[in-house]
Amino acid sequence: MENKFAKWGLKGQKEATVTIRDILETIKKQVKKDDEKPMIHLGHGDPSAYSCFRTTPVAEEAVNRALRSAKFNGYAPAAGLPESRRAVAEFLSKDLPYKLSEEDIFITAGAAHAIELILTVLARPGANILLPRPGYPSYEAHSTFLDQEVRNFDLLPEKGWEIDLDGVEALADDNTVAMVVINPGNPSGSVFTPEHLQKIAETAKRLGIVLISDEVYYDLVFGGNKFVPMGVFGSVTPVVSLGTMSKRWLVPGWRLGWIALSDPNGILKRTGITDCIKKYRNISPDSTTLIQGAIPEILEKTPKDFISNIVVLLREAAEACYSNIIEIPYLDSPQKPEGAMSTMVKLNLDMLEGIEDDMDFCLRLAKEESVLVLPGSVLGLKNWLRISFATDVASLEEGLQRIKAFCLRHSNMIM
Amino acid sequence: MDNGGLSRDQWRFVGNELLTKASAVTVRGVLNMLIENLNANDSRPVIPLGHGDPSAFPSFRTATAAEDALCSAIRSAKFNGYSSTVGIPAARSAVADHLSKDLPHKLSPDDVFLTIGCTQALEAIVSVLARPKSNILLPRPGYPYYEARAGFSHLEVRHFDLVPEKGWEVDLEAVEALSDENTVAMVIINPGNPCGNVFKYEHLKKVAETAKKLGILVISDEVYDHLTFGSSPFVPMGVFASIVPVVTVGSISKRWIVPGWRLGWLVTNDPDGILRKQGIVDCIKGFLNITSDPATFTQGALPQILENTPSDFFEKINVVLGECANILYDRIKEIPCLTCPIKPEGSMFAMVKLNLPLLESIKDDLEFCRKLAEEESVIVLPGVAVGLKNWLRITFAVEPSSIEDGLRRVKAFHQRHTKKQ
Repeated sequence: MENKFAKWGLKGQKEATVTIRDILETIKKQVKKDDEKPMIHLGHGDPSAYSCFRTTPVAEEAVNRALRSAKFNGYAPAAGLPESRRAVAEFLSKDLPYKLSEEDIFITAGAAHAIELILTVLARPGANILLPRPGYPSYEAHSTFLDQEVRNFDLLPEKGWEIDLDGVEALADDNTVAMVVINPGNPSGSVFTPEHLQKIAETAKRLGIVLISDEVYYDLVFGGNKFVPMGVFGSVTPVVSLGTMSKRWLVPGWRLGWIALSDPNGILKRTGITDCIKKYRNISPDSTTLIQGAIPEILEKTPKDFISNIVVLLREAAEACYSNIIEIPYLDSPQKPEGAMSTMVKLNLDMLEGIEDDMDFCLRLAKEESVLVLPGSVLGLKNWLRISFATDVASLEEGLQRIKAFCLRHSNMIM
Repeated sequence: MDNGGLSRDQWRFVGNELLTKASAVTVRGVLNMLIENLNANDSRPVIPLGHGDPSAFPSFRTATAAEDALCSAIRSAKFNGYSSTVGIPAARSAVADHLSKDLPHKLSPDDVFLTIGCTQALEAIVSVLARPKSNILLPRPGYPYYEARAGFSHLEVRHFDLVPEKGWEVDLEAVEALSDENTVAMVIINPGNPCGNVFKYEHLKKVAETAKKLGILVISDEVYDHLTFGSSPFVPMGVFASIVPVVTVGSISKRWIVPGWRLGWLVTNDPDGILRKQGIVDCIKGFLNITSDPATFTQGALPQILENTPSDFFEKINVVLGECANILYDRIKEIPCLTCPIKPEGSMFAMVKLNLPLLESIKDDLEFCRKLAEEESVIVLPGVAVGLKNWLRITFAVEPSSIEDGLRRVKAFHQRHTKKQ
C-alpha cells in the first residue's frame, strides 16, 4: 500500500490550504503562554465571542421552537425548505425593485458553502475567474481546487477601494466566466456607491460574465454610503448574490447561507446555470434542517433595533480603530471604514528596523505584544495588514496601543 | 422578455457538465420522479417506503436527551461562533470515546473529523482518493451517492457483487479480479444499505485480509451502526484495523433518527499510522479546511447526546425496526411476484426481487414503481437506482401500521397485474 499512496497530496493542496484560519493559527503559536497581558485578537471575523455582539433572543427562541416541534429532524429538500426559501426571497425583495421568488433562492451551509457551490457550477476546463485584490482567500482556494485560473483585479485604496474597472476589462477574455465583488467590503471596509455598482454591472454585461456579489455583510454599514444590494442592477446583468445569517445575526456557527439569483431577465435559467445549481445541491451536503425551519420566524421577528444596535457598536469600534491608527505614523489607513468588520492599513516598513515584511511584523507582534492581526499578503496585498475591529472597544484600543508600542520599539526614526 | 441585447452565445458562462451526469441517479432524484406520478385524486395517505428518513413518524421520535442537549447548547450562546474545521475538541473526544467502546484499540480525538452528516464524510474520502487513473471498488447493489461523487471527482468506479444467495456477502473473488495497481480502496456498507444484512465477524475479517493483500484501504460506511435486530451483532470494521487501515464514516442521523441535524464523522482506524504517513490524513484536513462545517451548536451538544441517551431508547428503536422488518418479510412471502432472499437483520431496507414474467405489461422495476405510485400511492425505490435492475429497495422504517397497509396495497397491485393463466 505504501507504494500506491507514495505520492499523495490533495490536488493543489499547497495553494488550497492557505486559508485565513491556517495563518492565524501559525501567528497565534507565537504568543507567549506565560504572558500576563491577555491576548488580543484583531485578526478574525467572528465577534460572536464578545458579549456585546450576542445574537438576538428571537433567533435562539426560533431555533429552540423548531427543535421542540420535532418537525425539522428530517432531511430537507436539496434546495432548502420551501418556507425558508420563501422567507429569504421576501427578505431580500424588500431592497430590490422587483420581487424574488422561492425558486430564486438556494439554501446553503453558510456562505462558505455558497462560494463552493457557485464556483463549482461555473467551472469548466480552461476557464478563468476575476477576483478582487485584496480579497477573501476562500475564492482562490476553491478556484485552485477546481483547476480554474484566477486573475486578480485591483481595488484602489486612493479611490475608497473602488474597483479598477479598466483593469477588469483588460484581464477578461473569452474564457472568463465570472467576477466577484464583495460589498460591504472584506477586508477593505468600504461600501460602494450605487453609481459604482451600476458601472460594475455594465462592465460585467459588456464582458458577458456572471457577477457574483458577496453580500455577507449585508446592511452592516455605518458611514456615509448606504448599502445597496447588487441585485438592484439585476436587469442590467445577471447577479448571483451570496448571503448568510453569520454576520448580520452574529451566528457564524449556525452555518446558514444562501444563493440568491437576481436575474429578472432569466438569463441564468436560459443558460442552464440555475439547473446546474439544483444538480449540485443534489450531491452536496445541506444546512441543518432545524435552522432552516427557524428562518421564517427569525427573518420576520428580529426587531429593527437589533440591527441598528449592531451598527452602532460597529460604528463606535470603527471610529476608535481609525482614530487610534492615525496616531501611529508607522501605519497608513487610506480611509475610515464604512462597513463590514475590518480595515486595511499599509505598513511603513522603511520606518521600522529589521522587520522584513507583513508576515514578519505579525509574527513578532504576536510574540512581543500578544496581539494578533492578519498579514495582508494572505489577501493579496503584501506589506499591508487587515485589522478586525468587531470586538469590544476597550480591547480594540488596548490592542492598537500595543501595536503603537511595538512600532516605537522597532522604529529606526530618531525621535 | 428583454435579454439585455445579448444572444445566448454571447454569455461566456455555461453550467458544469460533470454535474449533469453526477446527479442523474441519486435516490432523491428518482424518488422525486415517482412522487410526481402520484394520483392527486387518491384520498388515501401516501405510504412512503422509498426513503431512509423515518423522523416524521411518532414511533421514531428522537431521544428527549438528544433534544435537551441541543436545546442547552443553543441557549448557552457558547456555540454561535466558527468551529475549527476538523471539529471542536470536545466533540472529537466524545466521538473517539464513543466509538472506542466497540474497538480493541483506543481512538484519539485526532482520528476523528466532524462533518456535515455522513454525506460530507463520504464526499471527503472520495475527493481525497481521486487521482488520475485511480479506481475505487463499490458494492452492487449499493448507495448511489458514492457513484455520483466518484463520477464528479473523476475517480473510476468498479463494482463487485453482493451475493443474495449468501446473505448478501461480498464476492471476494470478484474483488480480487477487479483490483489492479490503480485500485485505492473498497467500500463496504454495514449494516447494509440497501440489503438489510449485517456482515458476520468472519466475513469482515476475510474482507480485511483481502484488502490487505491488494494493498487497498477499506472505507466502512457504518451510518446504520447498531441498528440491528436479528441474530448477527454489529461488528465495526475498525476491529480489523491492525490488518488493514480502515476509514469509517458514520453519523448520528440514523441511530438517533435526526438526519436533519447534519452531524457525522470520518474516523481513521489506523494503529500503524499508514494513512498518516502517506499523507491521506493531511489531505482530509485540507479538504475539510476549504469546505463548510457542521453547525457549531450541534457539535457542542454532541458529548451530551452520546453520553446521556439512555440505552432503552436504542432498544425501543430496534424493536420497532425488527417488528416492521418481520411484517415486511412475512407479507412479501404472500406475494408471488416478489422474493426477499433474506429476512432483514439491520439498517432500514430490504432488497426484494421482482419476478417480471408473472406480471402483465410491466416491463421493468422502474415501470413497476411508477405504476405502483400512480395506482396505489405507495412509493418504493426501483433497484436500478441502487445498481440492481428488476429488484426493489423497500424501506421498513415506518409505523408498523403503515407497512401493513403498504404491503396490502402492493398485494392488491400484484393481483391486478398478474398474468391471467
